[in-house]
Amino acid sequence: MDTLVEMKGVVKKFPGVTALKDISFDIKAGEVHVLLGENGAGKSTLMKILSGVYQPTEGTIVIGDKEFSKLTPKDSAENGISVIYQELSVINELSIQENLFVGKLPMKKIGPVKVVDYAEMNKRAKELMAKVGLKRDPKTLVEEISISEKQQVEIAKALASDSKVIVMDEPTASLTNEEVNHLFAVIRNLKKEGKGIVFISHKLGEIIEIGDRVSVLKDGAYVGTKLVSEVTQDDLVTMMVGRQVKKNYQHENAPESFENEPVIFEVQNLSRRDGKVNDVSFKLHKGEILGFSGLVGSGRSEMMNAIFGAEPRSNGKIFIDGKEVRIKSPYQAIKNGLAMVTENRRETGFFHNFDIKKNISILPFIKTSKGGGTVGLVSKKFEKECAEKEKQDMNIKCYSVEQNITELSGGNQQKVILGKWVAADSQIIIFDEPTKGIDIGSKSEIYALMRRLSDEGKGVLVVSSELPELLAVCDTIAVFREGEIVETFSHKDATEEKIIKASTADIVRKEGA
Amino acid sequence: MAKSKANQANPADGGLTLKKQKEKLTFNVIWQRYGTFGILVLLLGILAVAKPENFFSTATLTQILAQSSVNILIAMGEFFAILIAGIDLSVGSVVALVGMVTAKLMVAGVPPLLAVLLGILLGAFLGFLNGMLVNVTGLHPFIITLGTQAIMRGVTLIVSNSSAVYGFPASFTNFISKNVFGIFPIVAIIAIVVAVILSFLTRKTKVGRNIYALGGNKDSAWYSGINVNLHTLIVFIISGICSGIAGIVLLGRVGSAEPAAATGFETYAIAASIIGGTSFFGGKGKIFGVVMGGFIIGVINFGMNLLALPSTLQQVVMGALIIGSVALDRFVARKR
Ligand SMILES: Nc1ncnc2c1ncn2[C@@H]1O[C@H](COP(=O)(O)OP(=O)(O)OP(=O)(O)O)[C@@H](O)[C@H]1O
Ligand SMILES: [Mg+2]
Repeated sequence: MDTLVEMKGVVKKFPGVTALKDISFDIKAGEVHVLLGENGAGKSTLMKILSGVYQPTEGTIVIGDKEFSKLTPKDSAENGISVIYQELSVINELSIQENLFVGKLPMKKIGPVKVVDYAEMNKRAKELMAKVGLKRDPKTLVEEISISEKQQVEIAKALASDSKVIVMDEPTASLTNEEVNHLFAVIRNLKKEGKGIVFISHKLGEIIEIGDRVSVLKDGAYVGTKLVSEVTQDDLVTMMVGRQVKKNYQHENAPESFENEPVIFEVQNLSRRDGKVNDVSFKLHKGEILGFSGLVGSGRSEMMNAIFGAEPRSNGKIFIDGKEVRIKSPYQAIKNGLAMVTENRRETGFFHNFDIKKNISILPFIKTSKGGGTVGLVSKKFEKECAEKEKQDMNIKCYSVEQNITELSGGNQQKVILGKWVAADSQIIIFDEPTKGIDIGSKSEIYALMRRLSDEGKGVLVVSSELPELLAVCDTIAVFREGEIVETFSHKDATEEKIIKASTADIVRKEGA
Repeated sequence: MAKSKANQANPADGGLTLKKQKEKLTFNVIWQRYGTFGILVLLLGILAVAKPENFFSTATLTQILAQSSVNILIAMGEFFAILIAGIDLSVGSVVALVGMVTAKLMVAGVPPLLAVLLGILLGAFLGFLNGMLVNVTGLHPFIITLGTQAIMRGVTLIVSNSSAVYGFPASFTNFISKNVFGIFPIVAIIAIVVAVILSFLTRKTKVGRNIYALGGNKDSAWYSGINVNLHTLIVFIISGICSGIAGIVLLGRVGSAEPAAATGFETYAIAASIIGGTSFFGGKGKIFGVVMGGFIIGVINFGMNLLALPSTLQQVVMGALIIGSVALDRFVARKR
């Protein structure tokens, strides 16, 4: 196999942190090279050096027969490198086709003037979209499509510029199983065409399925490269974390059914004004962790947003410890002891203009304030203590809590968001896709944290698209379909097959008919 | 979790060199910290060299301070509007309307102190209107305040019958024009007091923190329990109060209320905020920077008068300086 790219002896220093120490990495034609490592190990940084976003402190990059000591984004693109970042970079205000050809719009001449050739653009967009399996009108605005579709746009964009190497930084973090399978089909086609793929993911099952070679980074240093065919998931965990992690977090002696335990949180007949959730009721008992499964758009997050007061309800009552509470805004929810780790950290989670400490302390401050959150002073001492505690508890990798949150790796940003909600010492905590982008070692710590919170008598609700996650932590799993709870499994009965069947039954029936 | 971590043979940040290094004093860092101040010193230096005979007198200092104060007051309100990624184009009109109404009240025999309080209250009310309109319509503050700018100017013309109002108590004008210790204008003290209060608000209070949060990410702010509408309202009320105070200060200094007063002052206010390091995208900036920015604009104005540039040319120079300083700032920021 040809080597398309070779990075040699790459060192990257940021003020205060050496993110990469003497890393060598190569990409061959027709392979999927997996990059694996804990949060903050340096995976994204290495790829940003390849794409020219960062300049290496030391080292060389060989692309084909050209050698560079550093790349600009332009060099990188011209030499056939495309990177699909952890945080997608499509432009919401443009159509799909315009996104595909940003910066290189097909032009035609009308007399002396050059204008955009929309007919040509539309035609080529359709071809590219067919390749990645995106079934949309190319003229659709990107803001109207789902995250997975945006990702397909990004891949199509890489194809549009005829890249030889396509880097995907945690492409599957927000995808459902179905969508992941789809992405893998696309990746296999790209392999056949001789493209080199770099694939970053914290999901080991996927790595075994799609990867050819895997390289592991740890704390910015190179650990080793293996053929995927020769390793097991457990080997990968050991290479990456240096130990094995627990597989289950339910108590051995947990009751068969929680019916007899006191109810600490209850939702009755909840419907959303926009109809995305219809007449949902459930109870959460003391010591029980309740999970919600279902396809994306089945109404799980939509229900949580409505419970939390962020989106309007048309009907429904909420009870905490048997007392009805009035929640019409997140402020009231927080005051009543609710917390919600939202699904999308960039859009509804963090403040890019704040450092870690301000991002964490905002919630305790709101919770203890008066007058709609306005009255009160900020205590620098409290703020610092609170942030230091979460840094410890969540194991956030940073050199100071005064560091800006945007300087953290993706997974560490997520840990800050988790810390923010936990810091408010809430009674009922909703975790919506809590471990998105979080490495396997830290995941296990977050599961342990959830169990600890539950043991302390707090309510823990988990929404996740990762079935293994729900199976590992939840005592009860409710399955959503089209805005309703269709089936509920206790931990002992739940299997991946049953849950998938419950969440798709209707759809299968419809397609069959 | 902390405990289980500590027991491990391999703590997660063991290998990472996570020590806090002294930040290197590169040009960027120096610019970030002292850039605005540097511009100010540079400008004063140019003036001192060009007109040493006028420059080195206490009267000069007094005059620069007094002239800058109105601008600084307005700019501090504008700062809040920009902080939430909005803008307030109506500040000049608020200055004029508040000045006019306060003048009318005093001429009608209302005691100056009461008239001043009512004037400031009117400023707050006008800000409240801006904020309500933004919240209710959901339109960008640019559109709303572009409209209210015209409306408020129109109301000023109606109230005043399009003519200037003067002849109010000397006790008022004398007070405003007073200099403490003979050199320190009372208006500068007013501006400093407002600056200290607002600086406290931004740094130490929850409402201040919430406003920064809102400016950084509106959706995150909502999910974190921040009442977006309430804080938007507060921001515009602050802007209205600042412009109201500026209107009264201007009234006292000029000695008459002109219907066309403070026309175009929003340009200076926006420029002062941006030169002072406030981000147009929201969420970043400091009151101290805005004060510096306002002072720089004041020095430029003063300098151009001192050098006897024709007022037509002054406009051109001012505009160019605004673009130049902000462009320089962006250029440095990008190189980081
Ligand atoms: N712009 C920056 N300034 C300072 N430090 C940075 C910056 N970008 C990254 N870092 C640091 O470099 C290290 C590596 O970060 P990187 O984003 O490459 O991690 P990662 O392996 O992609 O992790 P994750 O799995 O969480 O996405 C981290 O310690 C991070 O805090
Ligand atoms: Mg990353």
